[in-house]
Amino acid sequence: MGDISYLLPLLFVGVGAVVLMLLSYTKSLSISSIAKIALGFLVLAFISNVYYFGELHKVYPYENVFFGMIVSDTYSVYFNSILLVGAIATILIGWDYFRPDRRFTGEFFSLLLFSTFGMMLLVQSAELLSAFIALEIASLSLYVMIGFQTDNIRRVEASYRYLVLGSLSGVLFLFGTALIYASTKTTFLGNIGVELLPQTGKDISLAIGGATLILITFLFKISAFPFQNWTIDVYDGSPLPVSAYMASTFKVAVFAFMLRFVAMDLGYIKDYWDGLLMGVIILTLAYGTFLALAQNNLKRMLASSSIVHTGYLLIAFVSIDIIGESASSSIIYYLIAYFLSAMGAFGLISYISSSDKLRLTYEDFKGFSHVRPYMSAMLSIFMLSLAGLPGTIGFIGKFYIFSGAIEAGYTVLATSAILATFISIYYYFKLIALMYFYPSPILSNVPPLKGLPPIFIGFIAIAVLWGGIGNTFIAFFPSIDFLIDVAKLSHRSLFLQ
Amino acid sequence: MIGLEHYLVLTGILFSIGIVGVIRRTNLLMLFFSTEILLNAVNIGFAAVSKYYGDLNGQIFSFFIIAIAASEVAVGLGLLVLWYKKEGTIDLTSLQMMKG
Repeated sequence: MGDISYLLPLLFVGVGAVVLMLLSYTKSLSISSIAKIALGFLVLAFISNVYYFGELHKVYPYENVFFGMIVSDTYSVYFNSILLVGAIATILIGWDYFRPDRRFTGEFFSLLLFSTFGMMLLVQSAELLSAFIALEIASLSLYVMIGFQTDNIRRVEASYRYLVLGSLSGVLFLFGTALIYASTKTTFLGNIGVELLPQTGKDISLAIGGATLILITFLFKISAFPFQNWTIDVYDGSPLPVSAYMASTFKVAVFAFMLRFVAMDLGYIKDYWDGLLMGVIILTLAYGTFLALAQNNLKRMLASSSIVHTGYLLIAFVSIDIIGESASSSIIYYLIAYFLSAMGAFGLISYISSSDKLRLTYEDFKGFSHVRPYMSAMLSIFMLSLAGLPGTIGFIGKFYIFSGAIEAGYTVLATSAILATFISIYYYFKLIALMYFYPSPILSNVPPLKGLPPIFIGFIAIAVLWGGIGNTFIAFFPSIDFLIDVAKLSHRSLFLQ
Repeated sequence: MIGLEHYLVLTGILFSIGIVGVIRRTNLLMLFFSTEILLNAVNIGFAAVSKYYGDLNGQIFSFFIIAIAASEVAVGLGLLVLWYKKEGTIDLTSLQMMKG
């Protein structure tokens, strides 16, 4: 197979988005059949992506057309799989949520595919401006997805906030790119790093400024400390499946690009950031924990706790120049762990609330286990995994990150992260305690486990458990070590020539 | 003689004006104008650097940035119209209902 096989996943998603946009113009197709078509395109893309999964390679497809701006390596294949699973999961958990009477139409799925396309392009871009364009494709579609239910003013407001702040951070990225271009005459990843080496004897202060501006965009998009205020309001104002999509996949894509950029080019500049990033991490952990403790609404609690998880991820990010391979593989692994747990939690809550319009608070879950025992069990599994209890995938993810931080000498960071984990047990276990230790249920009109979404959420719950215990109990079954090995392989593929 | 530094300083000044605009303005339309100033400031920077190095890439980048700015405004103005229909005002202070 030629170069086209490396671009097939991107092509399927992109073509699918355009086809869906044309199809949604004809009103004869129902929304569920359009969802099925979208699912079909995503599955095709996933299959063509998995073909290269775990194979060490680095290819610049059609170099005479794209001039090496798009790359396909083990790293991008790995992240594309996560993103595609995220998009498929969003459609599946929202199967009952995306209904015409909620003002969802076929265009919504087209936007979802466009946004996935943008994220995949972001993961595959090997050049700063194409990364910016990919980022904007992903964000612009997300803005519209958030504000899709135009009759609800909260959605419009959330969309507006995200648009204004998102475009501001996008412009900072561009300005940073311009400064790096002025300083090094190139915007290609890999070449920038060569120009920045101290041996060239250049004045690189412009490039340091530019890289710092790009770092600010990155911190904004993953909602780290000084730029976290939008997160709770935007997540809270969006439809639940869209919040799940944002929390899990968008963060993955942005992390993927920044990891590539820092690992390939900014090893030298990163020394200037260490003090800054340590402050950011401690404040992110502290402030996120504080916010999560203060929330009573479940959706807002999950949004605030996603800030804390950003803090954990950044710890591994800091130690990347000291223990490169194991740090980046622990980031990749933790992203999968968080992706599964958050997708499951958001998905289940959206399923519970899809029957009526209530906003779920802690009190609503009092005695929930007596009405819906299986749902409570699944919700408990996701909470345990988010808190990082042994036996779940969240524990293994946290274990790699904390031990990596200690190995790299950042004991202060590891200690504060462990403290944050301790406190996080309060707000995660509060839900479990309320579900099991109250006699009379409050929520009574919850739909029973029926249809596609609960089956899928059940699969996610099994995956969360399998990630925690699978490798010790089930022999001859592909264990979680496989994912770690491929993560290490993808890190190595960044430096292939 | 006007050199690269002058253009970069101009970019910086325009960028600061745009940032101040985004922070200070409460009219949503003006907020969009400020974002446009920001993007065009970067455009000047790209074009100047491109001329300085004799490398055409920077000028191509400007074209892409213009296209992206246009699409961003398209989404933004759509939301603005929606907002105006609902609230009858385009002032940022009406955007406070999501507190708490």
